[in-house]
Amino acid sequence: MDRERQRILVAMSGGVDSSVAAALLVEAGHEVVGVTMKTFCYQETPGASRSCCGLDGIMDAKRVADRLEIPHYVFDVEEEFTRDVIDDFVSEYARGRTPNPCVRCNSNTKFRDLLKRGRALGCDAIATGHYVRMRAAEPGEKPSLLRGVDRQKDQAYFLWGLPPELLPLLRFPLGHLLKPEVRERARGLELETAEKPESQDICFVPMGNYREFLEQSLPTRHPALEPGRIVDRAGEVLGEHEGYAGFTVGQRRGLGGGFPEPMFVLEIHPERREVVVGPHRELFSPGVRVEELNWLADEPPLPQESVQVQIRHGAEPVEAWVEETAVTGTTGLDTGLELRFHSPQRAVTPGQSAAVFAGERLLGGGRIARALAAAEVPEPSPS
Amino acid sequence: MKPVYLDHAAASPLRPEVREAMAPFRDGLVGNPSSVHRWGRSARATLEEARDRTAALLGVGGREIRFVRGGTESVNLAILGRFGGSQAEGKGEPLFVRSSLEHSAVRESMDELSSRGARVETVSVAPSGEIDMPGLEALLREKPELVSFQWVNQETGIVLPIPEIAERCRAAGVLLHVDAVQAAGRVPLDLTENPIPLLSLSAHKLGGPRGMGVLLVRSGAEIRPILFGGGQEGEIRPGTEDIAGAVGTARALEVALWELEEEVDRLSELRDLLATRLKEGIERLRVHAEHAPRAPHILNVGIPELPRDLLPGALDLEGVAISAGSACRSGSTAVSPVLEALYGPSAGSVAPIRFSFGWTTTREDVEFAAETTPRVVERMRTLGVGG
Repeated sequence: MDRERQRILVAMSGGVDSSVAAALLVEAGHEVVGVTMKTFCYQETPGASRSCCGLDGIMDAKRVADRLEIPHYVFDVEEEFTRDVIDDFVSEYARGRTPNPCVRCNSNTKFRDLLKRGRALGCDAIATGHYVRMRAAEPGEKPSLLRGVDRQKDQAYFLWGLPPELLPLLRFPLGHLLKPEVRERARGLELETAEKPESQDICFVPMGNYREFLEQSLPTRHPALEPGRIVDRAGEVLGEHEGYAGFTVGQRRGLGGGFPEPMFVLEIHPERREVVVGPHRELFSPGVRVEELNWLADEPPLPQESVQVQIRHGAEPVEAWVEETAVTGTTGLDTGLELRFHSPQRAVTPGQSAAVFAGERLLGGGRIARALAAAEVPEPSPS
Repeated sequence: MKPVYLDHAAASPLRPEVREAMAPFRDGLVGNPSSVHRWGRSARATLEEARDRTAALLGVGGREIRFVRGGTESVNLAILGRFGGSQAEGKGEPLFVRSSLEHSAVRESMDELSSRGARVETVSVAPSGEIDMPGLEALLREKPELVSFQWVNQETGIVLPIPEIAERCRAAGVLLHVDAVQAAGRVPLDLTENPIPLLSLSAHKLGGPRGMGVLLVRSGAEIRPILFGGGQEGEIRPGTEDIAGAVGTARALEVALWELEEEVDRLSELRDLLATRLKEGIERLRVHAEHAPRAPHILNVGIPELPRDLLPGALDLEGVAISAGSACRSGSTAVSPVLEALYGPSAGSVAPIRFSFGWTTTREDVEFAAETTPRVVERMRTLGVGG
């Protein structure tokens, strides 16, 4: 931690992690300013027990700030959050993909907004309670973002989309700690949030029921929620489904029974309202095409370079190499790249993120456009 | 850095004179005024004396003063209490009228009535402070149950022409309620001359105790209680009376009225000094309701192209305590309904700051704000922190 006293903006959700992050910075002697972003209004979310503005979380954050004797402010980012995160979430499902709203929020809303507001408040740095670490820059380089020491809690996967110019300003006080240590610290500080359960669900989807959320967000009779066919790769009709938005690649549930072997979702074709299924072995792909790239490292990986890629939260990173950069993306611009896995990977899911690592270090990443089919991938692999 | 407090319109600190006056009734044995024994009698005597002093200060009769718990309760009692009266009289869709600038206590009380079957109409007020008199006249011809206008607007300091409104309501035979929470001690409240049937005050905005208010109910103004459980306060506000609170309210009003003329001059000068300095220091700054008659203790300015929710925090960190717009319960800053009523949708694109002054405010405080605010705004503009 820096020796000199800095004014640091800390994003406080009211949860245990960001509370302890703020406490650690206070302990280190910094002038800490807590902020909570009001991202959407729970009042309009049916079934949510919380009242207006996610008030419980905000009130928890205020109480923690009071305990730490730091100022705390609430900022309304509802408009940006709705545009960049919720609208994207809905349109991705409508396109038959499986979005990753936490990545969107970190990439587009949370950190950019924190930076803007932090500067206006005269802050020198921005901190959050993410379980990742910053490694100070060598002269002439950007600092690097590393995985958290607690591998169970590591959140680097969610941060590939950070605006790289922010890196020198970021502080992650929990990156060196294990979750039990964080809880212990929260208890030691008698923080109200010490025993708060982990938040797992998507914050704006009440009770984790995303289908209901989509029903309210999409126009009535949107194809994504209308019945369609379940087919196999050969096009043979195997059954009916209640809307392709209810499916994600690799899913087994909701396909009905009566198959000679367990069936899994392989692909979703929104234009035909078809869900393509197949046996487990067909779920594996030799590579992935990634678009909407963002690089935190000064130099993105070059063709043939070896990297590790993580294709979903909680998954182990796998060895891969860059086959091609400058893939023409859906926008018509060269924004993509193709990665080949050393061994085929299960359930490569369009819409999810591919985070690219060199060991501990997060290089960047992008959104998965599609899995590569075995036929597209010529042998052999360099290593 | 010594932080300066320029938020007296939100809460004003207790005056030492008031604390002193209240002290004997906060400690020791203070009876219940309804009790027959000596302690009860003594409490009753103190309460009635506080009531008489309050009445004398306002130029009304002692029986017309009702002590209630705060300004919001006073306003609610006037509005919901009058609705209760109209229902008892069996009126179908009673009409209630308010101005477009009312505090949420008036606005939301009337919204509540509207959900209970009343018709609510709003009379607009221009940034010049002029009210839509033809609109009011037309509504008065429909014989509303109650017209509620504020004397001084809590965000901009606009002073409404209450004597004229009172006269028109009287001529039309319509009951008027005046929310004078921001007016008391800041503009002369001439109640002897103006027949205002219902008027609300809050003690703590004057340097009195928190949680105390007054509802003036003049004879002829029929309102029903909204709480039940005892006959206190002329049968309209049950509950064991707060003796120290009543004494403190009377004393705060006394001190405020005693100093009124001097304070008006002093605070007007500070307000104008700050406005001049801010205009010099901040490009494109506008003073809200600049040409309206305004109370001396409020200066509301708008700064274009800055996010409205950042300024209060940025100024707080630099030691200037102010308010902006209206705070949601979460503490995030919503667009002010008052500024929206005055300026339309464009109100959303300026960041407002309300500076408000009171008995503790010094010239040094104002100088500090005048020096700090442009610096903070400049920093935000240089960084391109657009709205």
